[in-house]
Amino acid sequence: MVNNKGKSSGDPITRWLVIGMVALVVVVGTGISIFNNTSKKTAVLPSAASVKDGYGIVFNGDLKPVIDVWEDFQCPSCKAFEATNGDALRALAVEKKAKIVFHPLSFLGPESVYAANGAACAADQGKFLEYHAMMYKNQPAENSGAWSNEGVIATAAAAGVTGAEFEACVNKGKYADWVGNVGSEGSKQNINSTPTVFINGKEVDRASGAYYSAADFMKLLVAAGIK
Amino acid sequence: MKLPAFLTETRLNWLGLFVRLILGGVIFVAGALKVTAPYKAAAAMRAYELLPISVANILGYTLPWFEVGVGILLILGIATRLSAIFAGSLMVIFILAIASAWARGLSIDCGCFGGGGQVAPGETKYLQEILRDFGLTLLAVYLYLRPHTKWALEPASR
Repeated sequence: MVNNKGKSSGDPITRWLVIGMVALVVVVGTGISIFNNTSKKTAVLPSAASVKDGYGIVFNGDLKPVIDVWEDFQCPSCKAFEATNGDALRALAVEKKAKIVFHPLSFLGPESVYAANGAACAADQGKFLEYHAMMYKNQPAENSGAWSNEGVIATAAAAGVTGAEFEACVNKGKYADWVGNVGSEGSKQNINSTPTVFINGKEVDRASGAYYSAADFMKLLVAAGIK
Repeated sequence: MKLPAFLTETRLNWLGLFVRLILGGVIFVAGALKVTAPYKAAAAMRAYELLPISVANILGYTLPWFEVGVGILLILGIATRLSAIFAGSLMVIFILAIASAWARGLSIDCGCFGGGGQVAPGETKYLQEILRDFGLTLLAVYLYLRPHTKWALEPASR
């Protein structure tokens, strides 16, 4: 390391070798970051996902109003939002009173990817809403290791989402590329934090308190035409 | 320029080493914390509302890697003068961006070390962020003026 000789010129080979290696790291790293965050056309999509709805999992595609929920299964604020308004959203989906699009983001780390992939697998079983509620109810600390694929399968089982097909889907990470596409769509639509909810395309104001007050959230839904 | 007698060549070389390691270390860590969370880095970049969303996203994925690169060069002491110019320019751009966010009344975290995005209006730290980046700019200026430092892989750094 220490090189006190050749004070006037230094060692040009070392210089260019190091500069070259650093440049390689920067170029390759940049390439990987961009590639990983670009939508992949080859991604396998769960049957409930819709490309024109930002790859989200769609309930009642033909209805109005439209509610978009951008969330991360590992995000504590999303758990709080779910605890406040989850029942109301589920009722709207089940009673066919609104179009609801769930966008599971994964920027909190690998366990968010496993959880989101599991959500798509559960959607294929027609059990997305059950899975969604159970995952939030059992949300562990961020990236604590609890949501490995086995952990996701165990939590899903508690919600009644079981079966060889579901387990294979989770273990294979069948929808991992789809999870990436949801994320890059979130970047395109400027989703900077979770949860972010849109009602008929209008972002619910974070300062309004509606995220964590069932009454205030219901007021917005009523204003959007929910009876 | 005539230097005071106590600023001997040797002492300045040691000072340069510390300056290089502090500047390089801070930039390297700032970049390394962000390369693992590109989605957040892009979100932090968008939160400044200075660039079109697609450009901000690409820059959010790219910039952390450049910080890692220039951080490594400074820590090793290779191309110190060039790296100092790059690092200093980066700091000036950061200061302008933060000042602009402040002036426009945005409530964001600078996202300098990961994180970033909107924060509650009372939780902005614009002044601290600008002062820190100003300090780092001074370090970069010092290395530009005197790139000779102790324990540099390239003693006569350009």
